[in-house]
Amino acid sequence: MGGVQKKKFDRGAATNYITRNRARKKLQLSLADFRRLCILKGIYPHEPKHKKKVNRGSTAPRTFYLMKDIRFLLHEPIVGKFREYKIFVRKLRKAYGKSEWSGVTRLKDNKPVYKLDHIIKERYPTFIDALRDVDDALSMGFLFSTFARTGKCHVQTIQLCRRLTVEWMNYVITSRALKKVFLSIKGIYYQAEVLGQTITWLVPYQFSHDHPTDVDYRVMATFTEMYTTLMGFINFRLYSSLNLVYPPKKLSALSSCLARVVSSVEEDEAQMDHFPVEGEDVEQMEAREKEHKEQEAQRRLFEGLKFFVNREVPRESLAFVLRCFGAQVSWDKSLCIGAAYDVTDETITHHIADRPNMEKQYINRYYIQPQWVYDSINSKICLPVEDYFLGVTLPPHLSPFVEEKEGDYVPPEKLRIMALQRGELTDFFSILVQDEDEEDDEDDDDEDEEEEEEEEEEEEEEKEDEQNLKKMETQRSQGKVTPGKVKKEDRGRLEQEEKAEEKRLAIMMMKKKEKYLYDKIMFGKKRKVREANKLTAKRKAHDDASKTDKKKKAKKQ
Amino acid sequence: MAPNRRVKRVAASQPGFMTLNTSIKPENLVSNRRKRINKNKKKNWNKHIDVNDVEDFLEDVRLQERTTGVASTTPNTRAIMSNTRAIMSYTRATISTTRAITLCSLCWPLLDSTRNNQQRRGLISDKSDESLFFLDAGDKKAGTQTVVEPTGRRKASRPLKVDLILKNNSLVPVPKDILAYQLPNAKKLRNVAKKAEQLAAIGKVPKKHRPPTKVDGPTKTTAADAPNNPTRDFYDIWGQETKETRDPWYLRQTGKAPVKRGWKWNEKSSLIPAVEIIAPGGSYNPDFFSHQALLLKAHEVEVKKEKEENKIIKQLAYDKDDRATEESVFQEQVEGLEEEDYDANDFNSACTLGILNLVEKKTEKQRKKERVQKIKEQRRLASRYKTGQQQQLFQLRSIKVSLRQREQRTKERQTQRRANQEAEKYRPRRLGKLKFTAQDLEVQLTNELTGSLRTLKPEGSVLKDRFKSLQKRNLIEPRERAKFKRRLKIKYVEKRSFREIT
Repeated sequence: MGGVQKKKFDRGAATNYITRNRARKKLQLSLADFRRLCILKGIYPHEPKHKKKVNRGSTAPRTFYLMKDIRFLLHEPIVGKFREYKIFVRKLRKAYGKSEWSGVTRLKDNKPVYKLDHIIKERYPTFIDALRDVDDALSMGFLFSTFARTGKCHVQTIQLCRRLTVEWMNYVITSRALKKVFLSIKGIYYQAEVLGQTITWLVPYQFSHDHPTDVDYRVMATFTEMYTTLMGFINFRLYSSLNLVYPPKKLSALSSCLARVVSSVEEDEAQMDHFPVEGEDVEQMEAREKEHKEQEAQRRLFEGLKFFVNREVPRESLAFVLRCFGAQVSWDKSLCIGAAYDVTDETITHHIADRPNMEKQYINRYYIQPQWVYDSINSKICLPVEDYFLGVTLPPHLSPFVEEKEGDYVPPEKLRIMALQRGELTDFFSILVQDEDEEDDEDDDDEDEEEEEEEEEEEEEEKEDEQNLKKMETQRSQGKVTPGKVKKEDRGRLEQEEKAEEKRLAIMMMKKKEKYLYDKIMFGKKRKVREANKLTAKRKAHDDASKTDKKKKAKKQ
Repeated sequence: MAPNRRVKRVAASQPGFMTLNTSIKPENLVSNRRKRINKNKKKNWNKHIDVNDVEDFLEDVRLQERTTGVASTTPNTRAIMSNTRAIMSYTRATISTTRAITLCSLCWPLLDSTRNNQQRRGLISDKSDESLFFLDAGDKKAGTQTVVEPTGRRKASRPLKVDLILKNNSLVPVPKDILAYQLPNAKKLRNVAKKAEQLAAIGKVPKKHRPPTKVDGPTKTTAADAPNNPTRDFYDIWGQETKETRDPWYLRQTGKAPVKRGWKWNEKSSLIPAVEIIAPGGSYNPDFFSHQALLLKAHEVEVKKEKEENKIIKQLAYDKDDRATEESVFQEQVEGLEEEDYDANDFNSACTLGILNLVEKKTEKQRKKERVQKIKEQRRLASRYKTGQQQQLFQLRSIKVSLRQREQRTKERQTQRRANQEAEKYRPRRLGKLKFTAQDLEVQLTNELTGSLRTLKPEGSVLKDRFKSLQKRNLIEPRERAKFKRRLKIKYVEKRSFREIT
């Protein structure tokens, strides 16, 4: 027995963590500077597993950092710069107080500045690491670039953000990387695929800011400082990957091409390389090839189309989106610089406007609402323009970020788009339109059309069934022996039957445990289907109700 | 030397100073020793150098000039020289000759004035005897002196009396302000110029005119270097790998080696995506059902909030049955005043009986019986244990089953725990005093939806969304806005003017 009594909190968790205030004192920084340093270096607070052990027996809620993190921060050269800046502020204040104006200018000329390049290199050792974190940077950049010069943040920061975001948009345009767009009530969500990374960002609508008071602007500005530096380097790398000069010039209008020589179509249609990999089916390969082709087609969605953007439409977003898919865009000269052609241009194919009707219309172009562009992009095909004419009630703008699994409820609008994608509904629409014109002059929604289409399908099926039944009945009643026919062996059907049989057998051979699990899964699936059916029924009822309402209203009028 | 010293205003040096101790002479109290001072400072000259003798001399000259009247018309340069020489001799007594020149400048006006060939008054010593003395031969009106009376025409050209009065007729010229002719730091500048000339002769350009080199360091940090400068340029940061050529030992010892960043620091603190996409019901022109789903979600949040509020209200409320009635109030007031008498004797007797019972001793027989009982019980238990062990051999199957069950249970728990840990990565952690609170769901009611991009009124703030996202991903801890605390109380005083109105 014996030995020195062990002290409490001398080892273990208590020594691995450090409270924020102690860390701050260790680094000899003010709280604001400490917070800034942590954000720049990517050191974040931790929640310990056993708070009481770490907090020396107290259960008071505190912010903890890992001791190792703080020790790492001690080596940061920027800490010295922060201290220098503190002294600079003190000197400046003193000079102002004494009204030594020459001293003030001298101090201001020698204001200590720091660079974040080394931190970027340290935090993102490779380019792909940086690209993975660009979501945040982009969202922040786009947000700050829409700020007014209200003094909430430095004007230079706003300008830098604007420059970097415009550069980014131009890169996306040139590389045709945009995949999805979603207009939400909050802002516009974009998704692009850059060098194999899926990048999502949020852009606020223009002029939509009320500055919330419960947001720490200093923290946001610090994040932005870091992210602008990061984005600059990323942009540089991306531009050089396309063999473009960085920094580019005169971009803000989003109308001019970055590359002097536009790559020709033949060049783009380079064959995909085939690498025979063992254990990979030909089917998979084909599927991949097909996907690749689809992507290529999507990239050239608007190629050859000429758009004109009216002044009431969000110009920047539309110009960006349209040019991402190869369209030509222009706008009124008085709206923004960079207008390529005038309204009077006869070759314009689509005129995007957002007003009930326009007085002067050209006969050789479509006048459509802006949603057409976004919906077409999300559905990867040029949707029929008829649904989007001026003054027409628009079909709902569906979120492209929702991916329905099997058995989920799919809204009929989406079903229709899927059918269009498959190429099934190409001329069906025109027939429908004619029918409607004959039936009534009401402007029906496409929802109604959809419904009718469904109804018709059902009717057809019913007819077929009835015919079969009649035949059977007649056969029975007559009791005749008809001459035998050679049954055609439907191979596909046989195969299917075989497969079904195999499946049934497999189910039969299952162990009790597996069977239980299987039943559970199947039950879940059935439940899902049931719910989806319920929703569709509900939807139908809703549509019916709205339709009758409309008709009533129309009659009243 | 002593005479140059300014007389100190010490009481002991004053005439008629009496000391208490008669053996000490008052003049001995003032030390005669010369004080050593720096003579290359103007201040010291003013303070320590006695120029009274020079002053006296000059005063004497002036007096003589005033009294002797008109001097001879010929400039007596010799006399002037002697004048200066006299000054020189004085000064040489105390200071070096070079310094004397400065003193000379004091009498410079004198020299200067002599150079002007004008009517002068002179010193008595310089005057000829004839001019000083004359023979008194009574008053002769007509004689040697013939005064030419100005004619009437010349009278007009005479200066006016007013001008004559205003004219400075002092013969002591106005002293020149030498400082006006002096250059500050003249010597230093002269030296610098000289040095520059020498360097130029060798072929060296002074630093001022040289373009800044790396060794000089940054001369001026301007806004161009700031990280948020909108025109700053970027480079390929990931392309170039600069190889460190310096000795690693040296770098480590001097603290110049970059500290390696562990892989753990680049791990994400949360698995929540940076940009969370709003539910499909948040579209500006949503599908009916998805919009309803979003509304339902928002509704649930509101219901939850209301429930919590109600809970607090309920907790604060009191039971109406507990309300004080007249009766209960009276009961409370009377409490303790009424005496309740209970039987004290009964209690006492019970106590004594209990003690007696405890004290009663066991007999020998009883003890023996107990001992036997005990041994019997022990034996019984031992045999039972033994049989139990033997029985277990036959229970092997059931034991196995129970073991398996236990294992199953632990496995389940493990997977559950692992799943919980995974789920925890998607949840905001508690990082400080405050818990994370999600922002309000962005929702537009059916009547707020316009269905057109032009008339859309954006909901919520992207800035707040970003800020909350940072908090949610554990990058920053949720904080309250710092409250403004007034250190000193504000004293409200009603102004008189204001009071008059009200």
